[in-house]
Amino acid sequence: MFTLVIGGSASGKSDYAERHVLSLKGDGPRIYIATMEPFGEEAQARIARHHAMRRDRGFETIECYRKAGTVRLPKGCNVLLEDLGNLAANELFGADFSLTDNGTNPCTDDICALLSERITADIDSLRSQCSHLTIVTNEVFSGGKEYEGETLTYLRLLAALNRKLAARADLVVEVVCGLPDVLKGPKTL
Amino acid sequence: MIFVTGPLFAGKQEYIMEALGWDESDFETFAVRDVQDLAADLKTDQLPALADRLAEKKVVIATEIGGGVVPVDPADRRNRESAGRLACLLAERADTVIRVCCGLPRFLKGREVFQGFDEDP
Repeated sequence: MFTLVIGGSASGKSDYAERHVLSLKGDGPRIYIATMEPFGEEAQARIARHHAMRRDRGFETIECYRKAGTVRLPKGCNVLLEDLGNLAANELFGADFSLTDNGTNPCTDDICALLSERITADIDSLRSQCSHLTIVTNEVFSGGKEYEGETLTYLRLLAALNRKLAARADLVVEVVCGLPDVLKGPKTL
Repeated sequence: MIFVTGPLFAGKQEYIMEALGWDESDFETFAVRDVQDLAADLKTDQLPALADRLAEKKVVIATEIGGGVVPVDPADRRNRESAGRLACLLAERADTVIRVCCGLPRFLKGREVFQGFDEDP
């Protein structure tokens, strides 16, 4: 089963996604793919704490900041990837091409198309290796249109990924105030 | 009239064109998009007339822009306010209101009417 969980900042989407993963049937190992790159001591301490918390809930953590397609997963596993916004940012801003040529141009379109296809293929690879894949993604698209340059490129990339993955997903849930609103899939969870 | 709203780059136009079986020329003839921009610089009492005019179209699309931090610039604040008010007025006038997120529709009002429309665009 492939699930996409979307929500705004502090909407309760992570907590919902974790409970969803725990509710899924199957006895394969639970894997947490963490995408946030640790910058600095504070981040490293927080990440260590999260590792321990998730270990208590039966998750093994794999760190993956880019190229998720290279991750090798054990058979029958139940995977939670968090989150797509970080993965997209790492891929875009760590990528080996320049975004400085004034924003809205064909180059930006090419980068979005190229990266969204590459990352989607990476996700397809993860899906093909596991029983269940749940991805947490970010609703950051309702705060206006007045963005420029790299930020606009990032929004377009993440939006393209959200659309592509939602089209593939069995279940798409938007979390609002910690409550699930099913956008696709069985209406009763 | 079908009012389609949703976040930026959510696939609103793509969704409604596919649902209605429209091509680009249908869309240009029967629809209008980015109506939040039309609300900019209008006074509150001018918005109902704009909504009436827009409601003559078959499809009206707006992008949600009211979900961020209140803008520092007073003109931006006013425009964002107008966009939100206009969206409410359009939803009142609409037979069907659809919120598209990640390319997926959520019917907020009048699904039945939409299905009739779907069969006979």
